Amino acid sequence: MIALIARRLIAAFFTVLAVLLLAGVLVHAAPGDPVTAMMEHSASVMPEAADDIREQLGLDRPIWQQVGSYAVKALKGDLGMSFRTNEPVARLVLERLPNTLLLALAGLGLAVMIGVPVGFAAAVNRGNAIDTLLTTVTVLAISVPGFWLGLIVMQVFAVKLRWFPVAGTDLRNLALPALTLGLAYFPLVARMTRSSLLDVLAEDFVRTARARGLSEGRVLAVHVLRPALVNMLTIVGMVFVYMMGGQVIIENVFAWNGLGRLAVQAMLQRDYPVIQGFIVIFATSIVVVSTCLELIYGLLDPRMRRQ
Amino acid sequence: MTGASDRKPSVTGRIDWRFALGLGIAVLLAAAALLASWIAPFDPNRMGVGPRLAAPGARFLFGTDEFGRDLFSRVLVGARLSLGIGVGAVGGGLLVGGLIGLTAAFSGRIVEVALLRVVDFLYSFPETLIALSLVAFLGPGTANAATAIAVGMAPVFARTVYGLAAVERGKPYVEAASLATTSPIRLVRVHVLPNIVQSIAVLAMLGVSSAVLSAAGLSFLGLGVQPPASEWGLILVSGANYMHRAPWILFFPGLAICLTVLSLNLIGDGLRDMSDPRHARTS
Repeated sequence: MIALIARRLIAAFFTVLAVLLLAGVLVHAAPGDPVTAMMEHSASVMPEAADDIREQLGLDRPIWQQVGSYAVKALKGDLGMSFRTNEPVARLVLERLPNTLLLALAGLGLAVMIGVPVGFAAAVNRGNAIDTLLTTVTVLAISVPGFWLGLIVMQVFAVKLRWFPVAGTDLRNLALPALTLGLAYFPLVARMTRSSLLDVLAEDFVRTARARGLSEGRVLAVHVLRPALVNMLTIVGMVFVYMMGGQVIIENVFAWNGLGRLAVQAMLQRDYPVIQGFIVIFATSIVVVSTCLELIYGLLDPRMRRQ
Repeated sequence: MTGASDRKPSVTGRIDWRFALGLGIAVLLAAAALLASWIAPFDPNRMGVGPRLAAPGARFLFGTDEFGRDLFSRVLVGARLSLGIGVGAVGGGLLVGGLIGLTAAFSGRIVEVALLRVVDFLYSFPETLIALSLVAFLGPGTANAATAIAVGMAPVFARTVYGLAAVERGKPYVEAASLATTSPIRLVRVHVLPNIVQSIAVLAMLGVSSAVLSAAGLSFLGLGVQPPASEWGLILVSGANYMHRAPWILFFPGLAICLTVLSLNLIGDGLRDMSDPRHARTS
């Protein structure tokens, strides 16, 4: 187990390092240089000062040096300053991180709570009318764009029924974006749950259990549930990664003050350091969550520990 | 693509109903996109062809938007950009990703490990994050959005194509062929590709559906196609702004996206089950 932990932590570290380098390189994909972008968006920067700022930001040095120094500084917790507000990016980004994680957790929770029973019901009824119905609903639901769903949810629950506020970031406002994420990602959970359960149901030990004359309920509760739960971890991990992508848009629909909203505002204003900070922190939180899930997986399934 | 290893020779003669239904919808949508200029009753960008925010009716089938433009014409013409970006991005992503996957599978251990490391690294992040990160620096616009989406999808394509090719690589027929042919390019083109092309087609169908979604999402955020062009995600922006007074602006382009994504998913699922009977039984 210790070997697994060490291996995963080292892998996670290198992944984050790669993200840092990539975030550093990507800025140079931008047309023109960051200082030109900064001047376009803030009248306070005088053209004469441009060269000074370039020097201060190290833009006059070779790219590999800039990228390297960005990574080193970032590892020390310095993600630079926002072009627009001149605040430290690390603070701006970390302030928003809890909001993003809270919404992700709520959305993922809802998606699992709806998706797992649907997938389970479809799997144990494989081939009959219930399965066909649930599978059809799932295919239909998976085709709905999340942000459109969000706008409809907003129209129904906030505008028409007035049950919830339209937008904002306190706990009362969590309901609608979380509901949207739950509705948008439950089909994925249901689909994966169904096919993972079908795999387990096809195992020899299930046939043996049935041959021993156990009731179907007992077979499911005792023999199928445990391996299926272990598979659930993988499913939750994969859906989490997908969902974090969609969440960027949903945060903007509901003006939820998370990383995604910060990032899109920064993208529209070409505030490059903030965008870099978003990429770094957003990617790092995905790496952290994935790594934790893998470690739990190792804890539950001894086969994972030796590789 | 679990069942790819023991896939039976393709067409079993039975057409999956999902495939047929999906194909039907997709053909209609493609026809609408191609013939948009002839079918559209109004110039999609001309303002004031009708009253502002008029409800759907006989003259304006889908109603009008805040500038009095005909929504039916806009949604119809919008199909071009939305579908065009989707197909273009998948084309590009599949070409790059597929080549990386095939190269990894057929060019020695070192290249294989190196390429897979890079692919797995990118694969561990959401496609949307990769696409957003790129478009953030490239700047908004139709071509940049398509490029960003293509790059976002390339790791998925690379990984899947690698997986398919790696399975074929171990089969006796490929070993035999590799003794008979000299160049690995010929080996892949003549022997391996024909055997994995169906699975790649499934992948491409599902890819276009997710690319259409991403494109609409980027435009909605203001990072994709720019106004005044008509594109579904872009129309949804005014839909969001006039949500309570004119909900139809929100409804029709969204429905168009749903139909597109649904049809491609149906084609993909149906095609997979048709080419892989084993999979049809378990999923």
